[in-house]
Amino acid sequence: MRLSVAAAISHGRVYRRIGFGPRGRLDLLRNLVTALVRHERIETPWARADEMRGYAERLIDYAKRGDTDERAMRMANFWLTEKDLIHKLFKVLAPRFQPHPGSYTRMLHIPNRDALDRAKMAVIELKGNPLPPLIRPRRDSEKTLLNQLLKGYREDLHRAAAP
Amino acid sequence: MVVLLLVRSPLLRLRALLQLCWGRLERGLLPGGLGRQSSPWGPALAVQAPAVLPQAANDAGESSAEAPGLLDSILWMAVPKKRRTIEVNRCRRRHPSKLIEVKRNIDVCPECGNLKQKHVLCGYCYTKVKAETHLIRMEMHKKEGGPFKAPTVETVVLYDGEKPSEKDEGKRIIERARKRPSWFVQN
Repeated sequence: MRLSVAAAISHGRVYRRIGFGPRGRLDLLRNLVTALVRHERIETPWARADEMRGYAERLIDYAKRGDTDERAMRMANFWLTEKDLIHKLFKVLAPRFQPHPGSYTRMLHIPNRDALDRAKMAVIELKGNPLPPLIRPRRDSEKTLLNQLLKGYREDLHRAAAP
Repeated sequence: MVVLLLVRSPLLRLRALLQLCWGRLERGLLPGGLGRQSSPWGPALAVQAPAVLPQAANDAGESSAEAPGLLDSILWMAVPKKRRTIEVNRCRRRHPSKLIEVKRNIDVCPECGNLKQKHVLCGYCYTKVKAETHLIRMEMHKKEGGPFKAPTVETVVLYDGEKPSEKDEGKRIIERARKRPSWFVQN
């Protein structure tokens, strides 16, 4: 039985304390979610992006239910402060992510902010956006030493198998 | 004889004490009415003073306040006893916890050749992408023509001399008046 609440222990707390109180935190996250739905790629401090990611993905899960769903419409109405984005959410983002089961956002680390606070920044974007890609997936070229050796080994096996 | 000695020692002690007190009185350490009568000299200084002596007021003030003798006296402050030798100083200044950590997670970006941290995007490449994104967004803004006019269809970006393919059927087309950059691969 807990007879006293220890002041400085926060084991197991998942939500970060950002903004002015719990209401301020929700307002801040709501602004970020609205900006993400509008611009599809935003750059913000890493902690805020991390907090916002879960809320954005759950909002898209709600949107996948369809706009006739009362609960989904109420959620979209609360989380998107600019009401033309509700149309975009249900007509553009929900069909785009229909085949995907989850993870609709991509969060990447950026060099620290140039201002005095040198804050840890992240860029968070919705997958499938029309903007230029941030990372190019590189495949090793065939000319590297390891790939040439493996190619030689494969050819030797073929020659030995089919004489 | 023994009785006489025992009787004499307390008397001796009493006499010593009386002599001490008399000496103090003569010197004026014990304040009292006797001081004026016993001293052979007159008063050293006569000053017109109020009836209530300031000493009495001080006494009253001191008695009312708690006497923080510890804080008043400078002799109780924390002070180093000896000079720290340079050997001791070096041990403290060069301790591993005080040195700056050496970063071993710096690599070369394969695209542009600038340095980057392994878990962070390359600064140069990100700035390049950011500049292009900004230009695309300006074109989008011009096409929308006003605030709060987000389109209800997907968007596709086409560069000079490109035509929309059959995949870009119902999408809004944003034209950019330049050649397609090599790092923006068309899907």
